[in-house]
Amino acid sequence: MPDAILEVQEVHTFIGQFHILQGVSVSVPRGGIVVLLGRNGAGKTTTLKTILGLLPPRQGQVIFDGQSVQGRRSFDIAALGIGFVPEHRAIFRSLSVAENLKIAERARGDLDRKADFIFGLFPDLKRLYRLPGNHLSGGQQQMLAVARALVPDNRLLLIDEPSEGLAPIIIEQMMHAIRQLSAESTVLLVEQNFVVASQLAESYVIIEEGRSVQAGLMADLVVDRETIQRYLGAA
Amino acid sequence: METLRRNRTLLITLAILAFLLFTAIQGLSTRDWVITLLRGISVGAITFLVASGLSLIFGLLDVLNLAHGTLFMIGAYVGWTTYLRPDTLVDLLPPVLLLAAGLLLGPFWAALVGRWRTSRTVSRAWPWAALILAVALATLVFAQWPLARWDPAVAAQSPATYSLQLDQAIKAGQARAAPAPAAQGGLLRLAGAFLGSALLALGLAGFSAARYGGAGKVTGAPRRWALGALLLVTGVGIYTGDAALTRFLFGLDTAWLFLIALLVALVTGAALGALMEITLIRPLYTRPIYQLMLTLGLGVSGIELVQAIWGRTEFNMPKPALFQGSGAGCPATSIVDWLANGCSTIDVLGGRIRTYNELFVILIGVIVLVAVSVLLQRSRLGMIIRAGVQDSEMVEALGINVRQVFTLVFALGAALATLGGIIAAPSMGLSPLMGESLLLAALIALAIGGLTSFPGAAAGSLLVGLVQQFIIKYGQIGIRLPFLEQPFKPTPPLVPASTVLLMVIILLVLPQGLFGRKE
Repeated sequence: MPDAILEVQEVHTFIGQFHILQGVSVSVPRGGIVVLLGRNGAGKTTTLKTILGLLPPRQGQVIFDGQSVQGRRSFDIAALGIGFVPEHRAIFRSLSVAENLKIAERARGDLDRKADFIFGLFPDLKRLYRLPGNHLSGGQQQMLAVARALVPDNRLLLIDEPSEGLAPIIIEQMMHAIRQLSAESTVLLVEQNFVVASQLAESYVIIEEGRSVQAGLMADLVVDRETIQRYLGAA
Repeated sequence: METLRRNRTLLITLAILAFLLFTAIQGLSTRDWVITLLRGISVGAITFLVASGLSLIFGLLDVLNLAHGTLFMIGAYVGWTTYLRPDTLVDLLPPVLLLAAGLLLGPFWAALVGRWRTSRTVSRAWPWAALILAVALATLVFAQWPLARWDPAVAAQSPATYSLQLDQAIKAGQARAAPAPAAQGGLLRLAGAFLGSALLALGLAGFSAARYGGAGKVTGAPRRWALGALLLVTGVGIYTGDAALTRFLFGLDTAWLFLIALLVALVTGAALGALMEITLIRPLYTRPIYQLMLTLGLGVSGIELVQAIWGRTEFNMPKPALFQGSGAGCPATSIVDWLANGCSTIDVLGGRIRTYNELFVILIGVIVLVAVSVLLQRSRLGMIIRAGVQDSEMVEALGINVRQVFTLVFALGAALATLGGIIAAPSMGLSPLMGESLLLAALIALAIGGLTSFPGAAAGSLLVGLVQQFIIKYGQIGIRLPFLEQPFKPTPPLVPASTVLLMVIILLVLPQGLFGRKE
C-alpha cells in the first residue's frame, strides 16, 4: 500500500520474558482514523508502545512514512512526527497546564503557533492555563493529554483509550475533538468502547492474544454480529 | 487535603524552630545561641550540597548513589591540589584535555573506518586491535609524562607539609616561590597522548558498532568539531606555556586561587559524574540492586584510590588570606570591615563568628539553593527534570532525549558534591573518610525532607545541621532537666544519634518526610 503513513509488519514484542505480541500487522492509511480493537490484555497498548520504540520489537519492523524506524530510540522516533496520548491520562501532575503543553514543543514557538487550534478544541484549557496538573478533573486531564500531543506538528497520533473513565458528556466532547484533529493528522486509536470506536473510525484492526486477526472497514464490521461476538464479546 | 498537608509540614518545621527558640531561653545566652545557630546553618549548607545532588539523581534516575560521599571527598582533594599545588594541575591538564579531545573526535574516525567494507572477522577484530594499541601507547606515553608530584611517605614532601608552608606564607603575607617546573618533553608525547585517546575512542566505537550495527551519522558534528579542536588547542597551549602558567598561579592571591580550585572541583565532579553514568550506571537501569552495589563499590574504590595518591593521614587546607587576617582592624565589626581587612572573625553580639565557616559556607549554600531552584522552576531543562521524576517514559515519547538528560543530571549532582567537598575542606580538613559521615548525614536529611523533593533536601539538611550543632553545644554546657540534679551533657556519640532520632520522629509523624509526595 503506497499511501500508508504507518506499516507495522509482523512484529513480535517481549516484555521481560513474556512474548506479548506474536505477530501484529497494522496498516494505517494517510488521513482518517484507524482503531485497534480487542479484549483487555490482547496487546493493543503494547502495539502502540512498539510503534514508538518504547518496547522495541524483537522481530518484524515498523515503517513510518516509508522509513524503517528499526534501531532508533523512542525520542528519535517521536521526533519524526508521532504524538502519543497514553492511557490513564498520563499528564505531568507536578507541572502546570502551561508547562505540560510547553514541554511538548520540539521547536521554539510551537505552542504559540498551535495555541488557537488547541484552545479551539479544548476551551477549558485556556481557563485552566496556570493551574497545576493535579488540580484538574479527569476529563480535563484527558483533554490536556490530547492537547499535549498536538503542540508539535505530528503527522500521526497514537491515542490510547481516550474515553476511559469519562462521563458521557465529556466523551461526546472528546469524540468531537478527535474528529476535528483527524483532519490535520492521521489517528491510530485504541478504544474499548465499541460505540465510540464505531462512530469515530473508518477502519479497524482486531488484535486477539497478541496477533492481529482481522482488519477491514468499520462499516462492514458494525453489521458483522458474529465477528463482534467472537472477538469483542457482547456489543 | 493538599493545603492541610502543606500546613502540616509548616507546622512541624515551626514547632522545631520554636523548640530551638525555647531552648535558647533555657540554657544559652543570646550570643551563644546566635553562634550555634549560624554553625548549624553552616553544617546544614555543606550537608545540603551533598543531599541536593543525591536527591536530584534519586528523583529522576531512581539511583541511590552511594558513591556520593566519595565524590564529595574527591572534590576536596582535587580542590586542595589545585589550591596548593597548581603546578601539578598545570602538568596534568594537557594529557587530560587531549584525552577528552581524542574521545570527542573519535566517532569521526570511526565513521571513516566504517566506510571500508570488511569481512566479519576483520570487523570483529579491529576494535580489539585499536584498544590494545591505545593501551600500549598510553602506558608508553603517560609513564614518561613529567608531572610535579608529592610523596605522602616522605615527611618533607607530604601534603601536610605543603599545607603548613602555605599557611605560614599566608600568615606572613608572602607569596610562595614556584617550584622548579618538571622537565618538559617533546611534542611527540602530546601527539602520542592524542593518538592514544583517539585509538581508544575508535575501539569503543567499533564495539558499539558491532553490537548495535553500523556506525551511523555522528550527532552534533559541528559542535563536536569545535569543542574537540578547542580542547586540543588549549591542551597544546598549556603544555607549551607550562612554566609561565605555573609561575602565574603561584603568584596569584589565595582568594583567586581558591576560586579556581572551586571551578576545577566543579568540572571534575561533572566529568566524573557523566563518565560514571554513561559507562557504569546506564547499563544497569533494569537492575537497581546491582546499581546500588556498584555505587557502593565505586565509593570504596574511590577512597582507596585517594589514599594511594594523597596518603592515609589527614591534613589541613589553609583558608585563603581573605579569611585569615587577625591584625589591625580585626576582628571586624561589619561585613564591609571584613572585606577591607580580610579578618578571620566578625564580632556579633560580643561573640565571634568565623568569616569562612559561618559566613562564606552559608553564602555558597544559599547561592546553590537559589541557582538550582531557578534551574528547576524556570528553565526548560528543569521542566524536563520535574516531568521526568514522575514519568520519564512519557518524556521520551514527547521526543526528548531522556538519556542525555539523565547524564546531565548525574553530572550536575556529582558537581554539587565535589563543590561541597572543596567548600568543606578548609573548615573540616581532608581525610579519605571525610565523605562517609556526610553521606550518612545527607541520607538522613533526605529521609527527613522527602526523598525526591529539592526543597525537602534543603529543609532536611538544615534541620540535621542545627540539631547536630545544638547537641554539641549542650555537650559543653549541659542541659538542665527537671528530673536530674546534675545538668545532662550529651556525649559526642549522641551527635549522630540525635539526627537519627530526629529522622525517626519525623518519619513516624510524616512517613513521606516533610515535603515528600504520597505515591
